[in-house]
Amino acid sequence: MALLQDSNKYLKIGLILFLGGVFFWLYYNYNPAENSFFIPCPFHYATGLHCPGCGSQRAIHLIFKGDILGGFRFNPLLVLTLPIVIYGLSITILNWVFKTKYRFKLFYSKLFIFGYFGLAILYWVLRNIDSYPFTLLAPSGT
Amino acid sequence: METTNQPMGTPPDNNLVWAILCTVFCCLPLGIVSIIYASKVKERWAQGDYQGAQEAADDAKKWAIWGAASAVILGILYVLLVVVIGIGGTFAGF
Repeated sequence: MALLQDSNKYLKIGLILFLGGVFFWLYYNYNPAENSFFIPCPFHYATGLHCPGCGSQRAIHLIFKGDILGGFRFNPLLVLTLPIVIYGLSITILNWVFKTKYRFKLFYSKLFIFGYFGLAILYWVLRNIDSYPFTLLAPSGT
Repeated sequence: METTNQPMGTPPDNNLVWAILCTVFCCLPLGIVSIIYASKVKERWAQGDYQGAQEAADDAKKWAIWGAASAVILGILYVLLVVVIGIGGTFAGF
């Protein structure tokens, strides 16, 4: 029974790696600004305003190509959050694979949690203000 | 990053990383719900409410998943919209 459960897990790991590979291949080779098969933001489509995620697909494309500064111009919050997200995701995945229980202490700080939440809201509002310097927060506002 | 040495053991993973990803990428409203649940994990654990802490962590993950699902559903609706308008446009040009 244990062996069966193990192979189930290897299957899942393989699937995750495969999907990750597809994701990377897609965003590396195709620029969301130039291809219409990428999903646009519903909020932006409906209101014309920017949500906190607007620009993130274009940012990821540029980051995969090595242009981190270019990515920053499309979505600064995303680029700044990426190290923390990658670290946190790695811990979650490694915990799952190796059945360990490492916890990222920062994630348990209420100051961090609500600070980040407040930051996201603030960012949502500020990046829609149509004057300098707030235009720097909008996709490719620079 | 460390395993805690508190006598009560390690709190459950509060799934904040999924809450953050959901908030930034998919759906800010549901992402916020997820964040709020994630924030409750540690205090419940510290109070000895182990089950409540685990429930909060599970709720955080659940709402993050719903945020992602809503983004996918809206994406599908968008594609349908484009396809329908596209087909309608093709046949309307008589």
